[in-house]
Amino acid sequence: MIPDDTKLYFMSAAALEGLSDAPAGGLVPVITWQEGVSPFQVRDTFDRELRTTGRMLIELEGGAEVLSPGSGSAAQPDVGGTRFVADFPEGPVKAALGGLSPLRCLLPVGAGHLRRGTLSLLDDEQKTRARAVLLHLDATEGGALTIVQLQGLRGYDKALARLREMIGAAGGKAFGDDTAYTQLFPDLADYTPKPVVPLDRETKAFDAACDIIAAYLPVARANEAGVIADDDTEFLHDYRIALRKVRSVLSLFKDVYGAEQTIELKGRFSDLMAATGRLRDLDVYLLEKDAFYALVPDSLHVGLDRMFALFAEQRAAEQQALARHLRSAAYRKEIAALCKLFDKRRKLARGGKADKPAYDFACRLIWKRYRKICTIAEAIDAETPDHEVHELRIHCKKLRYLMEFFAPLFPDGPFKRLIKPLKKLQDNLGLFNDYSVQQESLQAFLGGLDGAEPGNLQAAQSVGALIVVLHGRQLAERARVVDSFAAFNSAETRQTFRDLFHGGKE
Amino acid sequence: MKIIACYSNKGGVGKTATSVNLAYALAQGGRRVLLCDLDPQGASGFYFRVKPSKKLTDTRFFEDVERFTKAIRGSDFDNLDILPANMTFRDFDIFLARMRNSRSRLKKALKAVKGDYDVILLDCPPNISTLSENVFRASDAIVVPVIPTTLSQRTFEQLKEFFREHDLPAKKLHGFFSMAQGVKSLHGDTMDEMRREHGKRLMKATIPFASEVERMGVHRAPVLASAPSSGASASYGALHDELVARVFGK
Ligand SMILES: Nc1ncnc2c1ncn2[C@@H]1O[C@H](COP(=O)(O)OP(=O)(O)O)[C@@H](O)[C@H]1O
Ligand SMILES: [Mg+2]
Repeated sequence: MIPDDTKLYFMSAAALEGLSDAPAGGLVPVITWQEGVSPFQVRDTFDRELRTTGRMLIELEGGAEVLSPGSGSAAQPDVGGTRFVADFPEGPVKAALGGLSPLRCLLPVGAGHLRRGTLSLLDDEQKTRARAVLLHLDATEGGALTIVQLQGLRGYDKALARLREMIGAAGGKAFGDDTAYTQLFPDLADYTPKPVVPLDRETKAFDAACDIIAAYLPVARANEAGVIADDDTEFLHDYRIALRKVRSVLSLFKDVYGAEQTIELKGRFSDLMAATGRLRDLDVYLLEKDAFYALVPDSLHVGLDRMFALFAEQRAAEQQALARHLRSAAYRKEIAALCKLFDKRRKLARGGKADKPAYDFACRLIWKRYRKICTIAEAIDAETPDHEVHELRIHCKKLRYLMEFFAPLFPDGPFKRLIKPLKKLQDNLGLFNDYSVQQESLQAFLGGLDGAEPGNLQAAQSVGALIVVLHGRQLAERARVVDSFAAFNSAETRQTFRDLFHGGKE
Repeated sequence: MKIIACYSNKGGVGKTATSVNLAYALAQGGRRVLLCDLDPQGASGFYFRVKPSKKLTDTRFFEDVERFTKAIRGSDFDNLDILPANMTFRDFDIFLARMRNSRSRLKKALKAVKGDYDVILLDCPPNISTLSENVFRASDAIVVPVIPTTLSQRTFEQLKEFFREHDLPAKKLHGFFSMAQGVKSLHGDTMDEMRREHGKRLMKATIPFASEVERMGVHRAPVLASAPSSGASASYGALHDELVARVFGK
């Protein structure tokens, strides 16, 4: 029986063969391969959630197997082709896929052929003392990898330790980091939705801005294919976040680019964003569907059915339109031109602050923004109109962007201590905003409903009830704002802001 | 967990051959099996190439859970472990009691390593008269190989008598014909007669006399592993299915 400390290793095929000659303390290592090979496919989410957590999902013959560093291998038949982790039937594979985002679809990373085998340590009576299950993966793209899963036999701990030693000596490495992937799929492109842009204190503001934009444009581009194929809703979400970051650099890094240049660029990026807004709104509604149903009594669900059916219809049309747009020659030309502009940079008009050192520049911007937030927030009470709360939200968002862009310039610890309470405040303001935006768009939906059409009256009733509930929620969030801000702006936070961005001064 | 004993007070009737193949078949069926080799000759351990553990003669041994679990050896097959021979009868008595008691330290230790068993199969040596009553009480089923001869017929009747005298449930007895040579009319007659007399106490499955079983000593593996498509394997398979239905239900 397999003891709990099952371990996964990986090595090259040559290293494995070399193992036959290794000293085995009187035992004899024997490798046997099963006849024949079977096709396999490795899948992962687009942002490599499995890869970055050291796991590998291998699909073969209708079933699937997940290799995880801690628990070894988990296999389950009849789950091949399942796209979202939530859609997997309960079982070992689903359990091993724990922690994956429910929103992300599992896409092919690479494919090839797989062979199974066994590595055994035999004693003088041909009794197996220790064993490892072998999986040899031969990728179509050129890489190869042998995965070695140790299986102890009860009562033979010494032999297991010996086998582990032999595998280590032959160059076997513990499975669980990126190298297994790079060995199997050497040409795999890198992708991270949050690129880290290195900066130092003397980096010129212009270069910092261009570096950040040049890092985020490829993120947007990398998500185009997934939006077009409609693999999952996160592609569009990440596409929009990347473009929003670009746009926020343009508006937050004042006078780094020439005034006209800034206006022109902002316009171009806003146009790119505009094409995506409606689809994202519909995605959010459809993702929140269950939550909406939970907000109103069962008797009003029929009306929601009607509404969500209409949303789904609209979404399909929007998705096709956006896919067409992203495939169009005009879009491709525009995005390529923008990429080139920020790669080459020669054609970008520089502004008055272009040559400022990034550190001074960052301190000034962050401090100013923080002070502004304090001024607005300190004036907020129960009577303050909503639009001022919205303004506070926008300033907080900008502060957050600034802090994230310039994070490499500041000490990690104090910086994180600021970000954490800021996030909390933003969550509160974010919900306040979401509820208000949802009410507005539901109002708009109501306005557009043709009352004469059958079923629409019911839909209107349900939507009306929904708006009432959302309004209540918005009020509740609104009531929390004063406290949230107080929690954020503690004496410690104030001191840290002064220390980090204002030379310790008030 | 079920305890199944393979028992006959006669030697050479096929207890070990049956234990080895049943253990293998049960493990293949997904049950976690511990095969206890109670014969000092260590015959079932031999078929799995497991060397008898010297430590087992240590008298302090069974007071020490840690060291007991260490005496168990994994076989070459999934789900199948062996407790090699060399146990004193007294030790074995204690062992059975501990395995029966779900709160014993031994059971807890096994559960802790996810190494608890669904079936404990006892390959009994002949002539364990002092111990037999305890084995019968501790076991859920007693599988009795019967060679269809007049002599064996007598032996089986004596066993039933023993059960009656000691107030043991006869339902625990699951006899079957072992090493049967169907063409020999003598065997055939005895089998018919015994089936009439003992009814349900005899299973339908019969293990014929087969050269593959004799050759187990050469291959040192269960027939079901070394000659899976042989007739003997089919018979052991049928015996397994019938016994599982009787012991586990369905
Ligand atoms: N069905 C069978 N056909 C042929 N030979 C058998 C059969 N069952 C057992 N044997 C052989 O008979 C001998 C005694 O069997 P064994 O299982 O060791 O009996 P026990 O354990 O009852 O003493 C062994 O050599 C074994 O290989
Ligand atoms: Mg025997």
